[in-house]
Amino acid sequence: MSKDDGKDGNKDVKEMTFEESLKALEELVDMLENGGLDLDKSLDIYENAVKLRDHCRDILEKSERRVQKIMETSEGIKKEDIQ
Amino acid sequence: MSAVISVSELNERAKAVISADASLNDVWVSGEISNLTKQSSGHYYFTLKDTKSEIRCTLFRGARNSLQFEPSESMKVAAFGSVDLYVVRGSYQFNVATMRRSGVGDLYLALEELKKKLKAEGLFDEERKRAIPKYPMTVGVVTSPTGAAIHDIIKVAGKRFPANILLAPVLVQGDGAAASICKGIELLNNYGADVLIVGRGGGSAEDLWAFNEEAVARAISSSKIPVISAVGHETDFTVADLVADVRAATPSAAAEIALPDISSEMRNIGNVMMRASGSLMYCISVMQNDFRILDSKLSPRRAKEKVDAELRNVNDMSKRSSFALRSVIGSKTGSFVTADAKLSPRRAKSIVDQYVLALDDISSSADASLLRLMSGKMKDTISAEQRMNAIDPMKVLERGYSFVTDDKGKALTSVSQISRGSDVEIRMKDGSAKAKVNEVKGK
Repeated sequence: MSKDDGKDGNKDVKEMTFEESLKALEELVDMLENGGLDLDKSLDIYENAVKLRDHCRDILEKSERRVQKIMETSEGIKKEDIQ
Repeated sequence: MSAVISVSELNERAKAVISADASLNDVWVSGEISNLTKQSSGHYYFTLKDTKSEIRCTLFRGARNSLQFEPSESMKVAAFGSVDLYVVRGSYQFNVATMRRSGVGDLYLALEELKKKLKAEGLFDEERKRAIPKYPMTVGVVTSPTGAAIHDIIKVAGKRFPANILLAPVLVQGDGAAASICKGIELLNNYGADVLIVGRGGGSAEDLWAFNEEAVARAISSSKIPVISAVGHETDFTVADLVADVRAATPSAAAEIALPDISSEMRNIGNVMMRASGSLMYCISVMQNDFRILDSKLSPRRAKEKVDAELRNVNDMSKRSSFALRSVIGSKTGSFVTADAKLSPRRAKSIVDQYVLALDDISSSADASLLRLMSGKMKDTISAEQRMNAIDPMKVLERGYSFVTDDKGKALTSVSQISRGSDVEIRMKDGSAKAKVNEVKGK
């Protein structure tokens, strides 16, 4: 049961990148679409799908965008914010 | 012993030798124009000379019309064409196919050579082009820190898929520009970016020249990170464009290629969730049938509770159901309220039982029409969000259904999973109750 619980079991959703989340979400939906699962399992999967969807949306809507420049100085590589 | 031949024959032979020799055909020749004559036919004749030598040149009307400039006396040019022999006079000449003004001409000459060389090495091959990552975390930008390019990129990136921008500030024109660009590409290769934008805003051919230099081409081709070129240049491709994995016409366009559009990503996620909802809805509708069978077996003792729940249920559904359905429910509810007021508590139970039956009918037809409504809406334009809420499993509980699990929390969906005397848990919208099974009956 718990072995194939969806790929998100390996990693905390909040830590996942957008690409990883989207991939995991698609895998869960494929599992749901393939059917043959009992209600319990389906609800679990759906709940995880909702988590992943929310995480994807958070990334799209709330991520910070850092704008920096990188320079080679005598003390090595330096990054600093622009604007 | 050779046969004696005519002058014409000799000249024809010489002409054939000249036109068959690759080193005399399709060559660039630099020199200065003198003795320019413009014929009324549109053809130009002139002499092209350097300090030691000269050659007569013809520039036919068609070739002249395609020139970007008007040739004039003493002008330094690079002429492209082939040597030919004019049989009538036994004189040889250079037929000019196109010409560039000198300086510029020399540069273009070198550029054509460079393109040929890099192409032969396979640096422009389609198979070499790498895919741009779809969701980059960091976009590296190699351009001037003060130019329009970085501003445009930051502006566009602010509205696209969220990624960090890491600028390697470089010189994009003038002495040292090519070396500076190469260093920027190398720096970002060493310090992390998922995709690079290398370029600058528009300018004259001279302004953009650094992007035609071999060193820049080599730096792009050996970058471990995929490169989008963005040299603001509408017509001619620079060598950087030819070597890059993707060529964008402007820095803004490059940012759009590097970063996906947010609203189309949102739509995609909505579509994926719609598929999830559809599958779950199917699973739940199967469960609903099971619930109904259980419903009909409930004890009379709980009838009042059930009527209340059903009334709430019907009220809730009537809001969402068709007008006709609402009016049926309205009249039933109305008469129930009237009857209820007039009844003695003693007789309430039998009346309530009748209503249970009536309301069961209404609620199951309401359910069916609600399901139809919902599946119809699936195909409609309502948002994925609404669709999800409509079939949210919690909503099913709110509609008065409960589900039964074993003592380990596993859902029980068949009487075969229950035995007499076992402990079960009944989950409702606002909590759960533990119960012991008195009896188990199959359908």
